[in-house]
Amino acid sequence: MKIEPTQLEKAVLLKVSGRMDAENAHEFEDACDQWINQGARHLIAELDGLQYVSSMGLRSFLAVAQKLQSNSGSLILCGLQGLPRQVFEMTRLIGVFPVYESAQQAIAKL
Amino acid sequence: MALDFTRLTMPASLDSLQPLTAFVLAGADRVGLAQSERDKLELVLEELLVNVARYAYQPDSGDVEVAYAADGTGELVVEISDNGRAFNILEAPAPDLSAGLVDRPIGGLGLLLVRSLAGSVAYRREQDRNRVSFRFPGPQSPGT
Repeated sequence: MKIEPTQLEKAVLLKVSGRMDAENAHEFEDACDQWINQGARHLIAELDGLQYVSSMGLRSFLAVAQKLQSNSGSLILCGLQGLPRQVFEMTRLIGVFPVYESAQQAIAKL
Repeated sequence: MALDFTRLTMPASLDSLQPLTAFVLAGADRVGLAQSERDKLELVLEELLVNVARYAYQPDSGDVEVAYAADGTGELVVEISDNGRAFNILEAPAPDLSAGLVDRPIGGLGLLLVRSLAGSVAYRREQDRNRVSFRFPGPQSPGT
């Protein structure tokens, strides 16, 4: 898994690509925690390059979103496709996170 | 006709996840499983093997066996077994999928994925072993 952060005016964009599984899901949570500790309120995860996510990955997304929400922030997902999108749909997490087709749309809504 | 299973036993730990998964995926390639089903199979294997690694023997340790067979119709039959504490994955309580973000339980999603993605998921406890079996390709999910 590769995580490429870009700091924007109102949010931090994290481009996540590759596989998020039991072995590395904590890396995503750690990366988000760093930005949260630096004061970021909104994180946008750009996921069009995410090829695989297991329940351990879902757990990380949920944990990060819960932390941000307790600080009136949010974890915004965009670009979900393929099996990761199905995984979010099957677990009905698609309705729990703000989800957009593209990072541009997500940024425009902030 | 009885199925001819190919088997591999390893310690039930996260370190075994990758080699056990690669072992079954080699079987998937042998039956010519489509890439989209192969990805789902990989996910189901991770969910089940992580479960065994984390809960079956805790706080002790033990082994997990993975077995697969081609059933002659292009389907792959997979069985995962351990002799840890009895755990029927089909009777595990379903997570509350209607809860909002704050109340959303973090556990239970893995087994939900297993039951959604794999075909003919079955459990039996036999001679002090948990045996979970399933088939691929799984059921066709809507929208795919």
